[in-house]
This record gives sequence, C-alpha cells and structure tokens, in this order.
Amino acid sequence: MATYPKVARQTQTRLFGVTWSRYRARRWLTRGIKYLVLIVFLVYFFLPIFWITSAALRPGQDVLQDPFGLPRTLQLSNLLKAWNTGRFNRYVWNTVIYCATTVTGVLIISSLAGFGLAQLQFPGRDFIFTVTLLGLMVPFQSIMIPLYYLARDLHILGTYWAMILPGIGLGLPFGVFLMRAFFRGLPHELADAAKIDGCNEWGVFWRVMLPLAYPGLITLAIFQFRNTWNAFALPLVLVPRDVLRPVATGMLQFQSRFTSDRAGIAAAALITSIPVLLLYLILQRQFVRGITAGALKG
Amino acid sequence: MAVGARQFTRSPRTLPRKHLRRWVVGYLFLLPAMVMYGIFGLYPFLRSIQLSLTNWDGVQPKYKFVGLENYARALQDSQVWQGLSHNVTWVIIGTVVPITIGLLLAVLLWDRPRGTPLFSTIYFMPQVLPLVVIAFIWGWIYHPTFGMLPRVLHAIGLHSLARGWLGAPNLALLAVLLAAIWAHIGFVTVVFMAGLQGVDLELLDAAKIDGANAWQAFWNVTIPQLSNTITMIVALSLIGGFSVFDIVWVMTQGGPANSTELIATYTFVKGLSENLVGYGAALSMIMTIIALVGAVAFIRLRERES
Repeated sequence: MATYPKVARQTQTRLFGVTWSRYRARRWLTRGIKYLVLIVFLVYFFLPIFWITSAALRPGQDVLQDPFGLPRTLQLSNLLKAWNTGRFNRYVWNTVIYCATTVTGVLIISSLAGFGLAQLQFPGRDFIFTVTLLGLMVPFQSIMIPLYYLARDLHILGTYWAMILPGIGLGLPFGVFLMRAFFRGLPHELADAAKIDGCNEWGVFWRVMLPLAYPGLITLAIFQFRNTWNAFALPLVLVPRDVLRPVATGMLQFQSRFTSDRAGIAAAALITSIPVLLLYLILQRQFVRGITAGALKG
Repeated sequence: MAVGARQFTRSPRTLPRKHLRRWVVGYLFLLPAMVMYGIFGLYPFLRSIQLSLTNWDGVQPKYKFVGLENYARALQDSQVWQGLSHNVTWVIIGTVVPITIGLLLAVLLWDRPRGTPLFSTIYFMPQVLPLVVIAFIWGWIYHPTFGMLPRVLHAIGLHSLARGWLGAPNLALLAVLLAAIWAHIGFVTVVFMAGLQGVDLELLDAAKIDGANAWQAFWNVTIPQLSNTITMIVALSLIGGFSVFDIVWVMTQGGPANSTELIATYTFVKGLSENLVGYGAALSMIMTIIALVGAVAFIRLRERES
C-alpha cells in the first residue's frame, strides 16, 4: 500500500551513510514487514514439502530417529524400495494408463461437444448445456454408491475400465464447459468463410476451429491430468484390486503395509507427488489457469 | 466438401430438410459426450435419488420402495446431525481463514514486489499435491511422539496442547481442517491476485485524495470491487465444505470417537461399508441438497444486494 510523502519535511538523521527522512524510514519499515510476512508464508508452504523430500532421500535409520532432521547423506534406496518392494512400479504404470486414456478421451469428446454447443444450432442445445452445468455442481459423493453398482453390473469392476470410463464421464462437464467457452470466443465468420471454401461442419471443426482452440486443449489436458493422477475417492470405490491401483490409493496401501518404515512411506509420497509437481513447475501458467478455471466453473 | 457449397443454390422449398441435416450434425457432435456423461454421470445421479427411496441392501436382487423413510430416519440419526455440525464448522473456518490469509498475501503481492513469481509459485504448490500426500505430511506434523507440532508446542511451554492432535477428540477436526486450509490458501491467493488486477486504481487514488487512510481505502474501495471474487470463493467453499471426504478419510476415517465424522464420510460408511445402500443414498442426497441450495442461495443473495 502506498504511503504519501506528506511527512517528508520532518527532521532527518543519518544512518548507514544515508539520510533518513521519517518518510523514508517508514517506507523501509513497511517494506521490511511486507517481506517478513511473505517469507514466513513461503516457509509455511514450502517446509512440509521439503521435509517429505528430504525424509525420502535420507537413510531409513536417520529418519526413524528424527523425521524432520536435516539431510546429511542422501541416497535412493528408499525410492527403490517403494518402487520394487512397495509395488510402486505397478501403481505408477497403472496411473499412467489411467491418465493417458482419460485425458485423451476427455479432450476428444469435450472438444466435439464444446464445438457443437458453441457453433452449431439445433433444438435443445441450451437444455443440454444446463444439464452439463448441473454435472459441475453435484459432488462426487452423491453418485458414488450407484456408480459402484453400475460398474459391477457392467462387469468392469476388476478391470482398468472401472477407472477409465467413469473418469471420462465425470471429467466431461468441466471439459465441455471449458471448450464451449473457447469455441464461443472464436469468430463465427471463420466458420462461414470455411464453408464458402467448401468445408462441411466436420472440416470447420477439424481444420479451422480445433487448431485455434489449442490453448484451451492444453489447459483442459493439464487440469484433467492432475485430477486423474490425484484421484482418490474414485479408485477407492471402484478399484479394489491391488494390481490395478493408481498411486493415490496405492500409497495408502503402502502405508498400511510398512507402517514403521517412515523413510519408505516418505519415498512413496515423493513418487506420488513428483510427476504433478514437475508438470506444475514446467507449465505453471497453464496449470494455475486450469485449476482456477476448474474451480470457477460454478 | 461439396455439401456446404450446394447449400447456397438450394431453393427455399428444401429448407426444412436442410435444417434437419444441420440438427443431425449438431447432435452427432454431442453424441459421445451425451452417452458417456449420461451413463456415468446422469444415470448414477438419478439412480441415487431412486435408491434413496428404497431399502436396498446391495446384495439381494429385490428391494422395496419405502418412500421418504430413509430421510425420516436420517433426521432422527444423531450421527447425521453431529456430522452436519462438523460440516458447518468446516465451512465457516475453512472459508474465513483462507479468505483472510489469501487476501492478505494477494494484496502484499499486488504491486509485484521483487520475488513475486517465487512467492506465488510456492504458495500454490500445496494445491497441486495429491490429497493422500497432504494427509500424510500433516500426519507426521501432528504425530504424538515425533511430530513437529508437539515439539514446537513443548518448546514454547504449551505442554497441555502438545499431544497427538489427530487422536484427541476435541482437536482432531481442527487438525484435519488446518491441513486442508494449508493446501487451499494458495488457490484463494491466486484467485484474489487475478481479482485485484481488475480493481480500479483511479478510484483508489480518488479515495486517498479525499482523505481516506490506507485501511479505509482498502475496506471501502478495494473490497467492494472484489465482491464477485469473494462470492465465488464462498460459494465454492460451501459446496466443498459440505462434500469434503478425501482428506478426512485418509487422516482419521471419521474418528476418534466420531469427532471428525462428516456427512460424506458417514455416507461412505453406511452406503458402501455397511451396505445400507438406500440409507447411504438418502444421506448423499441430503448432502447434495444442502451444498447446492446453500451455494445457489448465497449467489442469489449477493446478486440481489448489488
């Protein structure tokens, strides 16, 4: 907050070789407090993440004595243990499958529907969109019970499909919402021009509009990736078989199997977080846009 | 290809057929979404409503329609009321604290001081982490024997508070909530940072020329301009606070002594662990209705004010 130099004509003192008016002193004081607050919160948000990382890389015996101690020697044995003995090789592979299929499915189906809702005209369009919006507001817990029995009756409960198909279905409301907004932002004249050049609706979608909606696709892909990677309630209900578990419920399993191996659990947590964390650090802007847009959906 | 070009030479007589074709194309674009969302979103939701009116146990093929019996039972279930009161606590603290801290941090970063990218990157980081990991990190911090929090509390002389918070019925809910808030503040901060971009600085200057001090200018000029942002965050907190499940399930499973039992965890226990499908479905409907009605009513109220 800016302060006004109305007190600048006050008495001046010299300190550190600089002349300090009262105004100047006050400005430095506010700036100092401001940075102090910012740094305190920086530590507050970062320290727990640092603890996990360091505990995952320190020798198990060290961590057992003091999980929050500073790292003296670093090694990868905890990570290897979680990876091999803790079956994280399997969990990570499963999660990669879930993410690849769910993200692809949501991207394709959402952009088709988003284009249809934004650029084409047919009866019932607004109604369909309203129903989609409803899907954004309904919490997952209100459908999880029937979803379990649905998966059972479709005989997909013990397969990858139990995560993939509902994952796509539940990702669609936001995907359609976002892609519709993107396609609405593109000028209608483009479609008309393409039609004069001999394109049909599919051509307009595939050759003209989709390439222009690229930023929206990236945002949606990242948002969906993070959701699928972090998904917890969905696999908790629909993936009871250990060999099909994704990392989130896999980590829970690991925790109950190796209760006393603190360093190992920290390593498991690190493996679970690293892909999303890395992606976040690389594509930060798109990541933030996706999550905030995802929340602003209401 | 030729189809589009031909449209221009069509006589008005064939107009309905042309419409029909356009409609069909529109529906074709929507078909995959309608099928997938219909089966895995809409159908379970409607089915949930239907099951909430039955006494199905999830095993037997037959079940009976029992009307609103499950709902009546829920109203008399003290665990439901207890759970809902925990949800109310969750919503209130989980809204006020992140908004206060998030707004503070966003205002401090408003004029983009040096290091802003670093600050905002780190602040948002917990939001990205999987909830199991957040739950695990805070489980360590709260741990009764080696946890960071008991140690710090001992060091500053608060020995009575220096115990395992997750195991103490009077502290467990607060402990889980604090972990959730830790992860949520970064999001609120970023949303407020975006909201502050839209604040009219000239209005702020005018207020100062008129003699308002920094606090008055902030409270009377900046905050009203952020009202849409605040409305949205509160509405989201209402929905999120009444349906919260993951982090509580991982950290405490509703315990100790039901002190962290929320409506969503209770729904999970009844509907999926104890196979009381009808009752569980009714509970999930109650949760959904409260969350949605609360959020919509709040948004409407704010709209009418402005």
